[in-house]
Amino acid sequence: MPAFRQVLPILVVLAAVIALGYPLALVFGLPLARRDLSDLRKWRKELVTSLAPSDLTPLAEGGAITFSPQPGRSVLVLEGHPLEVEPDTDANAVAAAAGRPLLVPGEVPERLTDLLYRFPVEALAGEGADAIYAGTRLLKEGISPAAERPDGKRLDFTFEGAEGPVLVADRLLLEGEGFNFDQGRVILSEAPPFGSEVRRIAADYAVLDAAAGIVALARPAAAPLQWAQEVVRLAERLGGESDGANRLFTLEHTPVLENDRGRALYLDGSPLRGNGERPSERVSGERATFTFESASGLVVLDGRVLIEGIDYHHSGTEVVFVKPPARNARLRLHPDYLLVDPERGEVLLAEPPMPGAVLWVAEYSYYSEPACGPTLYQCFLALPQHPVPFPHWIARRVAPFMSKFPLNDERNVVRATFYTTLGTLAALGLGGIVGILLAVVFVLLRPLERALLPWVVASQTIPIIALVPVLLLVLGNFGITIQTSLLPTALIGAYIVFFPVVVGTVKGLRSIDPLALDLMRSYAATPSQLFLKIRFPAAVPFLFTSLKLGTAAALVGALVAETESNNRRGLGFQILGQVQSGNVADVWILLILSGLLGIGLVALVGLLERIFAPWKRA
Amino acid sequence: MVEPRPSAPTGCEGTEVVIEVDGLSMVYSERGAETVALQDANLSVLNGEFVSLIGPSGCGKTTLLRLVADLIQPTSGRLEVAGKSPRQARLDREYGYVFQAPVLYDWRTVLKNVMLPLEIMGVPRDERRLRAARLLERVGLSGFHQQYPWQLSGGMQQRVSIARALAFDPKLLLMDEPFGALDEITREAMNLELLRIWEETRKTVVFVTHSIPEAVFLSGRIVVMTPRPGKIERVVEVDLPYPRDPETRESERFFELATEVREALRGGH
Repeated sequence: MPAFRQVLPILVVLAAVIALGYPLALVFGLPLARRDLSDLRKWRKELVTSLAPSDLTPLAEGGAITFSPQPGRSVLVLEGHPLEVEPDTDANAVAAAAGRPLLVPGEVPERLTDLLYRFPVEALAGEGADAIYAGTRLLKEGISPAAERPDGKRLDFTFEGAEGPVLVADRLLLEGEGFNFDQGRVILSEAPPFGSEVRRIAADYAVLDAAAGIVALARPAAAPLQWAQEVVRLAERLGGESDGANRLFTLEHTPVLENDRGRALYLDGSPLRGNGERPSERVSGERATFTFESASGLVVLDGRVLIEGIDYHHSGTEVVFVKPPARNARLRLHPDYLLVDPERGEVLLAEPPMPGAVLWVAEYSYYSEPACGPTLYQCFLALPQHPVPFPHWIARRVAPFMSKFPLNDERNVVRATFYTTLGTLAALGLGGIVGILLAVVFVLLRPLERALLPWVVASQTIPIIALVPVLLLVLGNFGITIQTSLLPTALIGAYIVFFPVVVGTVKGLRSIDPLALDLMRSYAATPSQLFLKIRFPAAVPFLFTSLKLGTAAALVGALVAETESNNRRGLGFQILGQVQSGNVADVWILLILSGLLGIGLVALVGLLERIFAPWKRA
Repeated sequence: MVEPRPSAPTGCEGTEVVIEVDGLSMVYSERGAETVALQDANLSVLNGEFVSLIGPSGCGKTTLLRLVADLIQPTSGRLEVAGKSPRQARLDREYGYVFQAPVLYDWRTVLKNVMLPLEIMGVPRDERRLRAARLLERVGLSGFHQQYPWQLSGGMQQRVSIARALAFDPKLLLMDEPFGALDEITREAMNLELLRIWEETRKTVVFVTHSIPEAVFLSGRIVVMTPRPGKIERVVEVDLPYPRDPETRESERFFELATEVREALRGGH
């Protein structure tokens, strides 16, 4: 039973943490997670493009063409025209349907060095850039920028997922000549100039200079490098019947990015324009006739598709409204098509396509899913910095946070706690002594009390946060900073501590029973005896009560002082730093640590009280 | 019972007058209103005498005691304590004062509380320890040296207070309703104890009380006082022989004297 009694407080704390921490974390976290789920801007964007075959061999030899990944609704496209062949068929069938080779070879690139090639400029423009291959292997383009910015001095850089040579501006650096590795970092032998671009090839090749047609390879090509002007590709076909009347088609992946500049829709061989044209005239509210660039298309007023013949009629490039549109209404003419419902990927064509016509898309973007995951729970777990983290998240951070810096680094948390403790203790000592002296003076010289007490009270109405910078500035002139000395923390803490000590000690010194004073008078005691033997001991419990109050306040004072910008010592600095970098769990650790420190310091004062005032009732 | 004890109620210890009160008056004035706390009091207390002051609240008995102790100064009249002015008597530590409340110092142990007056008077450490221990033994608290006051009962606290008043061996013991806050049973035990101590030490005691039986049981003389204005109504001589014991309380003479005091008190109204 006694063992249980000892463990009980810990159990109670644990139960409170679990009973409060988890529901609070849920209550505060779920709305954020829900917002993440519903906010499209926080969703991952995925690009749908037409695919080149993963292997070029069959194009030359007539085997089956494979594409990966396999899209659902798809159509084979060559030179911008859909082929009337089922995808995933053999190359000969495709070739027969196309009536020509499936690969149009381009100019052979000029080899400058093992890694540098000069291509015809048009090879690197547009989609054609996909079709660089070595032998029959299609090469992939990829480049990764450095995580750090060059400042003219920095030599070490890190890259994500890149293994090839390093590019500084348009210069190619090789391992061993120009850069070396050190613990996963790239160390350049020469610092790149400020503002220059430092990148690293992430895949097979990167375009070094598109205007000059220079391409850099990650490694020397195993086979002669070639460029295909055109390769058969697999594109997505829009859903919907081409029966000569239907105008509504659907994109496969939804929701579709509404303002997608890269979206490229084709009807058979001709590209469709999706962007709306603005009228040449202002929508004034009176005007009913507007001029557009195109002579036909969908007229859209404030997102509503108008019906020709009822709402308006065309007259050349002019649109004549039956009723003038409202002032400043958003009027657009979509010459070929309109994305009517991005959510469902619905596309409305201005004219129904001819029966059998193929509507396909070479490229568009859609929101694949929330960046955090498809469910609320996943999004909640993925919330990177959650204002009220789950208790176990905090617990999990304790060890890494404590050992983030070595013990001899002043940014180490244990060391920071030590600094704050020392500062608070110094503040207690200083504030206690000043407070006691003031109290004694006040009790001995009443007029002085009347003169000074208002100022003592006024001193406490000055917000400490305003006082700290001033004090630190003044001390800084003498070369005393928190970084180098305990004095500033002690002074600021003492400034807070001395007030309760003065008030408590004055009360204590005056707390004597009048009879006790009579008794001392009957002993013909001298004033100093009265003070030392009666008044002062009577004030001791009051003093300790004040000190306990002061301790908590002094700790806050020390923490505030430590948030000063030039300081890197103490828990105050830690809290500020973690708040600024948004490490919520770490902030919580620091809050708990500060709380425990406060409990510990007050307990220490209590221990002193037991030593110096043992007569108090238990 | 074979030891010689003072048996006569008055005068047996000699005729030295310890307290001489002559036409003493005390008027408190506060915001223009004057209260006559004591009017024209005359009293002599002889050495070794046990004198009680009795009377209802506001009759000036505590005022008289405080005047003797030089805790307040009289408005008019003459007062001599141990043949000196009250102030000089106080400075010479001629009396020990026991209040209604024990007035012990919380931060001092029982022993140190008793040692306090000796400390103030500059008695060497070893001697004051010795004297304090002796006095605690006398009041029956030998085993409580290291206790703090709050650990004692009310009666024990008052005994510490008496030991403290006797610590520096004053000529005179002034007691202001010392047992007023105690229950009846403890009070009677304390009365016996006080009598024993008085008989051992032969101090002159001036004892303020509300209680007629207490006054009769303890005193050689009872000064009956009446209020508004506070004055001495009469002095009743108690001729019960010392030493007194619980049976004294049941004697006929005890009741007669109590009745006499009661009537004297009533006479003042």
